[in-house]
Amino acid sequence: MLEKLKADFDAIIELVNKTPTSLQETAFKMILEQWFAANTIPKPVVTTPAPSPNAISSPPGGIPDAIKPFLTANAITAEILEKVYHPTGPGAQILASDIPGTGKATKMVNLSLLLCVKQALESGHFTCTLKELRELAVHYDCYDSPNFSANLKTNKNYYKPRDKGADLELSGPGLKRAGEIIKNIATGD
Amino acid sequence: MDVAQSLEDILEELVSVQKQVNKLKTASVSGQTLRRSIKELHKRWLPIGGVLESSSVVDQGQLREVSEAWLALVKLAGNASPKKHYKSLLKDIVSKTEVGLLHRFIKGSAIQTVGDALRRLVQPVSDPALLGYLEESIRCAETNCVRASVVLAWCAVAHVLHRKLTSLGLATLNSEFGKMKADKGLMFRGFSKDYSFSTDLDVQEAADAHLILLCRFLMYLDDTQYKHLKSALDLRNGCGHPTGYQPDPIKLQAYYADIAQLVLLNPKFT
Repeated sequence: MLEKLKADFDAIIELVNKTPTSLQETAFKMILEQWFAANTIPKPVVTTPAPSPNAISSPPGGIPDAIKPFLTANAITAEILEKVYHPTGPGAQILASDIPGTGKATKMVNLSLLLCVKQALESGHFTCTLKELRELAVHYDCYDSPNFSANLKTNKNYYKPRDKGADLELSGPGLKRAGEIIKNIATGD
Repeated sequence: MDVAQSLEDILEELVSVQKQVNKLKTASVSGQTLRRSIKELHKRWLPIGGVLESSSVVDQGQLREVSEAWLALVKLAGNASPKKHYKSLLKDIVSKTEVGLLHRFIKGSAIQTVGDALRRLVQPVSDPALLGYLEESIRCAETNCVRASVVLAWCAVAHVLHRKLTSLGLATLNSEFGKMKADKGLMFRGFSKDYSFSTDLDVQEAADAHLILLCRFLMYLDDTQYKHLKSALDLRNGCGHPTGYQPDPIKLQAYYADIAQLVLLNPKFT
């Protein structure tokens, strides 16, 4: 494997150099992670969990492939993700005991973004049902029922256009904001 | 009908009416528009109240109180009535609808779907002994007995721990407990119990907290895994003893995700 790494190393460095200087270290780490994931023969696993109906392709216990572009674009390493979700694949649960934000409205919106990423870990789609959002918002004490729809509407740029009552799906700015929240939780900010 | 959405819409408009009433400079509410909007809102409330009446997850006493407050409000809106009467009724309806009806309805609907979520988490488990505990635990969750569900799911965890540790042989197990007692490392120096097992059944008498600590000592779990499993055991203990703590279905799902990953589906415990 070392021989192959030697052969690929120059190409990796070339790729890293194309990223902004401040992100080069992270990019190098992430590309190396990907390289090892792609070039390491997985160890046989004793039990092979049956995939759930919505499950997506992912290495055993690993991060699903479908979410990797989002992680790379937002400089989220496996280490960061593990501080926010457990496990970091199908069946993922949010680890945080509190959702970041100063008021119920911000917390509820941030929760919706985290839930969309949680769903992506499950199915590869950055979506979240309003039913799940309400249940989790009650759990995290950030459910402001008279303003629930209004708060989602105020932050509609985070979601793709939808009809009232329809599931949420993250837009570009929503994905970016979700990445920021994940990094904030991981660093304890 | 999406009950949660409909209740949210009514609450949103009720809060808006509440603000308008509070803003009034007169002592009574005489404006036709405001009074008409209250009557309209009541008409929209009636079918929702009907759905909630047939729901087993909502406290029917609370529902009756809210329905009676609505009737009183509509009666007030029939004529120009004192503002202070409106204020107290509106406040009553909003707070009881929000906490007593809507929150309970949402938690109740989470209970109705929690079984599927839990079954997905433990789907790969095939051991009939474990499935017995888990299925009973999930049935408890589906009937809103979350604490019982937590305790029964832990039985599956304890079963796996006992099976794994007794498979080492009692002599080895006694010796490993002795080594752990002698270990003065940060994690183990608080452990001071002497264990001497003479039969497999004796292992069941050992404290689960000590058994999972031994699993950490034997490196079946790393520090983070041990920490999460200890939290799961703490939740089990909180649910298995008379305490005021009531975990909700979300907490139960997180608990299941942990015990499944850390023990039930962990290859180190097979």
